[in-house]
Amino acid sequence: MFTIDTRSRVPIYEQLTEKLKELIIREVMKEDEQLPSVRSLAQDLTINPNTIQKAYRELEREGYIYSIPGKGSFVSPVKNEINRERMEMLKKELERIVGEILFLGVPKDEVIRIINTMKEPERGSDDD
Amino acid sequence: MIKVDNVSKRFGRFDAVKDVNVHVKKGSIYGLLGSNGAGKTTLLKIISGIIRADQGVPTIEGESIFEAPDVKKRVLFIPDQPYFFHQTSLMQMASFYEAVYDQWNGERFHQLYEHFALNPNALLSRMSKGMQRQAAFILTLSAMPDALILDEPFDGLDPVVRQQVKNLLIQDVSSREMTVLVSSHNLREMEDFCDAVGVMHKGGLLYERDLEELKTDISKLQVAFKKMPDESFLAGMDVVHYEKRGRVLTCIVRGTEDEIDRYVRSYEPAIYDVLPLTLEEIFTYEMGSVGYEIRNLIV
Repeated sequence: MFTIDTRSRVPIYEQLTEKLKELIIREVMKEDEQLPSVRSLAQDLTINPNTIQKAYRELEREGYIYSIPGKGSFVSPVKNEINRERMEMLKKELERIVGEILFLGVPKDEVIRIINTMKEPERGSDDD
Repeated sequence: MIKVDNVSKRFGRFDAVKDVNVHVKKGSIYGLLGSNGAGKTTLLKIISGIIRADQGVPTIEGESIFEAPDVKKRVLFIPDQPYFFHQTSLMQMASFYEAVYDQWNGERFHQLYEHFALNPNALLSRMSKGMQRQAAFILTLSAMPDALILDEPFDGLDPVVRQQVKNLLIQDVSSREMTVLVSSHNLREMEDFCDAVGVMHKGGLLYERDLEELKTDISKLQVAFKKMPDESFLAGMDVVHYEKRGRVLTCIVRGTEDEIDRYVRSYEPAIYDVLPLTLEEIFTYEMGSVGYEIRNLIV
């Protein structure tokens, strides 16, 4: 499903949570889909099962997944909570990028013009 | 699971192990790290009941292991040099293990030696160092131990076998909650494998920590300012080490990421990056304070 870069500086536990969050946010893993068991993931990736357990616990705490005792872990239905966190992150990133653009001398109007050419996605139901 | 309280061992006038406390949780992989001669092997031999400590009694699930055959049936030790009886084959060793260890799994033994393509009837003494180590793993894992104590286990194994052995250990840890205590001075390798580490130096245990915890409360910052702030900037953090190259400051700082983040941002840095530290780096800086050079530690 995904690979872990053991040469990377980023701790395996963090790589795991980030990768799983990405899969959930991008809806590669759908609502109520079961996550691989700690045991099978540990075996597939040759990673300490306690590290995986910890990553799952963290994801559960942050509301990305939920667990049913004896059955395993599942992807939580999309919650505004998750989206809000992601939005905050993107807003900050946008501020940084725009800040740099303005610093380089692109007029503000130009930035606004670019934004105005973009279309807002059509919304189906209450949440997305 | 494995508990060692104030254990000491002296050889003549030399303190090999001094007041060491080690706690390994059930189902955990604990890495015992340290330089050569730090006392790792002595401690592992005490824990596996091979030598008696001068002071303190190590226990496994509350029971002392020294001269306690019932406990020893569930706790296996692979020393840094695997030991086999004189002039024996893998098959002959297996029948000895089967007689001694109640939890022996013959089916698993067959599966393993076939998987590693070892000839069970060849003399073990004629095998290479790496093959002997594979043989030791095959025998040990077939005895289905509850706790496994390994002294420099991956030494002499090629990368493919190394990965396979690790995978086998991880399977046992995740399916049967086997506890593993492993010594090594290869930090790079331990980083991916362990969940807790203990560091020994000159017979004593410097500290033992959860690996993630260890990694989250120390980080490396790269900061650059348009206008360099005065000394108070460094004084306001728990700086372990810093280096200034031109206008860029590299600091190793203790503390939680949020705290550091808030503090550094209050000085309005032009560039600000936080890098996670590798286990090797944590060692270099943390050990620097006890006069311990990392260069002597890594092989």
